[in-house]
Amino acid sequence: MIILSRWGFARPISLSSCSYSLRRYASKAKAIEGENEWETIIGLEIHAQLKTGRKLFSPASTSYGEVPNTNVNLHDAAFPGTLPVLDLHAVRLSLITALALNCQINRRSTFDRKHYFYHDIPASYQITQHYNPLARNGKLQISQGENNAKRTFDVGIHQLQIEQDTAKSQTVGDNTLVDLNRAGTGLMEIVTEPDMRSAEEAGAFVRKLQGLLRRLGSGDGDMEKGNLRVDVNVSVHRYGTPFGTRCEIKNINSVRFLQAAIESERRRHIQHYLTSPTTPIKQETRGLNELTLETFSLRSKEEAMDYRYMPDSNLPAVVIDPEYLSGLRNELPEMPWQVVKRLTDTYGVQKRDVETLIGLDEYGFEGIRYYEDVIGQGVDKKIAKKAMNWIVHELLGQIGKLSIPWSPTLIPSSLMREMILLIEDGRITGTTGKSIIKHLISAPAPSSSKKVTLQDVLLNLGIDINENNESSIDIKMLCQQAIGNQPKSVADYKKGNEKVIMRLIGEVMKLSKGTADARKVKEELVELLKA
Amino acid sequence: MRVTKCRLQSLKAPLKPRTSDIHPTPYSWINTCTPGSSTGNLAGISIAIKDNISYDIAPTSCSSSMLKDYNSPYIATCVQNLIAEGAHIAGQTKMDEFGMGSQTTHLPPFYTPVHNSASPSPGEPPRSAGGSSGGSAAAVAEGSCWAALGTDTGGSVRLPASYCGVVGLKPSYGMISRRGVIAYADSLDCVGVLGRDIDTVEHVFNVISRPDEGDMTCASSSIRLTAFDISQRHLPHDGIEGLRIGIPSEIKQKVSSGLLDYLRGQGAKVEEVSLPSIKKALPAYYVLACAEASSNLGRFGGGWFGSPLERQSRIEGESGEERRKRIRTEGFGREVKKRILAGTWALSADEFNNTYLKALHLRQLLRKDYQNMFRIPHPLFSPSIPQNQAGVDIILHPTAIRTAPVLGAKEAKGSNEYQQDLLTVPASLAGLPCISVPAGKGQDGWPLGVSLTSQWGMEGLVLRLGRAVEQWSKGQ
Repeated sequence: MIILSRWGFARPISLSSCSYSLRRYASKAKAIEGENEWETIIGLEIHAQLKTGRKLFSPASTSYGEVPNTNVNLHDAAFPGTLPVLDLHAVRLSLITALALNCQINRRSTFDRKHYFYHDIPASYQITQHYNPLARNGKLQISQGENNAKRTFDVGIHQLQIEQDTAKSQTVGDNTLVDLNRAGTGLMEIVTEPDMRSAEEAGAFVRKLQGLLRRLGSGDGDMEKGNLRVDVNVSVHRYGTPFGTRCEIKNINSVRFLQAAIESERRRHIQHYLTSPTTPIKQETRGLNELTLETFSLRSKEEAMDYRYMPDSNLPAVVIDPEYLSGLRNELPEMPWQVVKRLTDTYGVQKRDVETLIGLDEYGFEGIRYYEDVIGQGVDKKIAKKAMNWIVHELLGQIGKLSIPWSPTLIPSSLMREMILLIEDGRITGTTGKSIIKHLISAPAPSSSKKVTLQDVLLNLGIDINENNESSIDIKMLCQQAIGNQPKSVADYKKGNEKVIMRLIGEVMKLSKGTADARKVKEELVELLKA
Repeated sequence: MRVTKCRLQSLKAPLKPRTSDIHPTPYSWINTCTPGSSTGNLAGISIAIKDNISYDIAPTSCSSSMLKDYNSPYIATCVQNLIAEGAHIAGQTKMDEFGMGSQTTHLPPFYTPVHNSASPSPGEPPRSAGGSSGGSAAAVAEGSCWAALGTDTGGSVRLPASYCGVVGLKPSYGMISRRGVIAYADSLDCVGVLGRDIDTVEHVFNVISRPDEGDMTCASSSIRLTAFDISQRHLPHDGIEGLRIGIPSEIKQKVSSGLLDYLRGQGAKVEEVSLPSIKKALPAYYVLACAEASSNLGRFGGGWFGSPLERQSRIEGESGEERRKRIRTEGFGREVKKRILAGTWALSADEFNNTYLKALHLRQLLRKDYQNMFRIPHPLFSPSIPQNQAGVDIILHPTAIRTAPVLGAKEAKGSNEYQQDLLTVPASLAGLPCISVPAGKGQDGWPLGVSLTSQWGMEGLVLRLGRAVEQWSKGQ
């Protein structure tokens, strides 16, 4: 039967509660002798829920975690006489996803029915695109280093099709309970070519796809919530020999489990070929035991269903106008990997930091936009790098400690920009900058009627801007005071321990209440101590 | 005029439909609610609907045990349109289970039979009303409703119309919304109209032939406009003057020469035409209809729709799968099971290419035959496709190979059945409008009908020629 191949039955254990077991069992995996002689071939089948807010063929809204059977239209329950009405927004989102995956869009795609009897499918057929999918022949490049991938390579996209999600069914005691809230939700099924060679490469593809879906707004790519689901095909063979028999592992709930499943399967195949080199491994569908991280057999190929695919006459063919398509192509937003490349190439900023900015809002790139607003047009690399530090390390660091969510209005980009430029001119110190950020994020949200200016903030903090580009405080005097306060440090310094100058700098900072420029303080101290 | 008188009669004193547990009746359900006083094109007029068209106050059972006492939670679009124009839904009419049959004899055991009321003399053994919309045709013939909706997948409106001596229109595929019509075969199913005369049928058709966003296969306003423009250009100014009528050489049954002479006399041209693919296309119909039926009927037995049988819980020790098998075995009649099995077979991985795909191809060939034969361009296709200027406008042939058969009589299987399907199925496969109009009597005194088929969207044309046939019949 099909039971275990369907999604949504209760998982035996939650992710957080099994970390102990994971660690214990994970360490059990020992290296196999001659492991390097074997090559692993991996292909993925991904189901991504379309983020349209409504179901693919009915006006019912989509939902997650709501009271069962509350978002159900008669069509979702397959009531006699109901007909599907295709959500064209879902087609649009699928098209931009296919374009971002460099697919060829079929000018004419059609819908088919896939038949099987089970509780999770009231019509006894799923509407999918079997014969003429929306798109084919795409690719997504994985670069060396992504998710520890060891090479740069393309993952081919075999096809991308639109289809319906099933209901969730759950066995409780002697009964099967069905929740139709998910039934009829629109999915994109993305089938890759078997182009990946390691668990890391497969993980890299899924992570990259998640970012792509979020950026396009076509999906949330959230595996925990089940709106992105992955089936993986794995085969293993010795280099230079024909491909081995593949096994499919279904129901994988995270990238970590995906990688664990591939690893487990790889070891199992190698062990099999080592112990019985003449018999091919049995082709079957397997699941992953999330406790032991070992795969287990669900059903063998011989039990495979005949789905009796048939064109669905209730749905006209989707014919894509080339003009519409080129319009969509032109509107494609900058992809995460593209913005990383552009910013690192242009400004020499760190890839990691750009990724942090992307992570602030993977959909609208608000973080990236904020950064670019702060640095402005035609900036030099130095300002760009400084601004990155101020935003990613100082601002995000501070709000992280206070558990305040980031928002572009928390510190308006113009304010941030003004502050960074003042610091760069040496008119305020970095320490003052930190205080300004601290003040702004802890201050109550400014009322929209009054725009907060940097002047107000400085006034609030009792800090003056040095118009002459010099500190208003007398650094020399403070340094002398510090030297007087710390005779032991001075003695140590004179003995040759130059590191203790930090102690003296600290003393000056304390005396200046943090307004002194540490660089200048150091210069002054060195000068004074020479005497 | 007879037509007007008839309509007035039905408005003033409509015959009450009757239902009975003992006596034959075309109705499976009678609407006892008194029609509300309303205005509209159909104000106060009684219209019956077939038992597979969803109506929320009626048990829409498709004349199947599977859906016995199933109460649809919504109203089909076509019925909504009728009600919006003030029509009173007289009741639901019996049919062959899920539309599968041609005599309205595939009924669940708790239904009394449907008798054809067109008997020329009392005391004759009861005859079939045809099927699968036999209840609708019989209800119109007995006068208990002004008109009735049926559905036509391969002749289910036209054959009963011929047997019962009424007019039956199967419109072009996509003219009337199928939303709420319980599917037999989606690519073939059409809602049809049965009435005493052409005027009645046209009147009802005009009310329910409109776009529906709830059915993606229902023709849009723009396509309807195109079709209307084309039909205006080809409709004769007066009567049937200049109309070209084709008689397909592949069909053995001929209409009376008297009728053809009359039509020629009215200015029509009659000529022989050929549809070379028509015979090969016939098996395609069985494959496609059964395949689609096997898919559409898969939903029954899952326990979703609230009929008591369907909702039955598992027997002790029974698995969910076994329960489904039992409910489907008990709930479907013999003919339905036969067609589901045939359709399942046609869709199986081993057969699909050789059976289903070939059927699609043959259907395509037949469509091409029709397009090559018609002088009028197809509104759905690009106007750049050159039309056959020497082509015909309408195809004419008998609707049935015989008058209504006596109920319970052993039918000679095989050739007869095939010959009959040749008369109704091609228009369904091609999605073309086809009307059956009473045209005289057989030697036994029972009614006979002729079928008129035209280009997609040319309902106006078939109704126009239908009127001429009606005139001729009156003179008989």
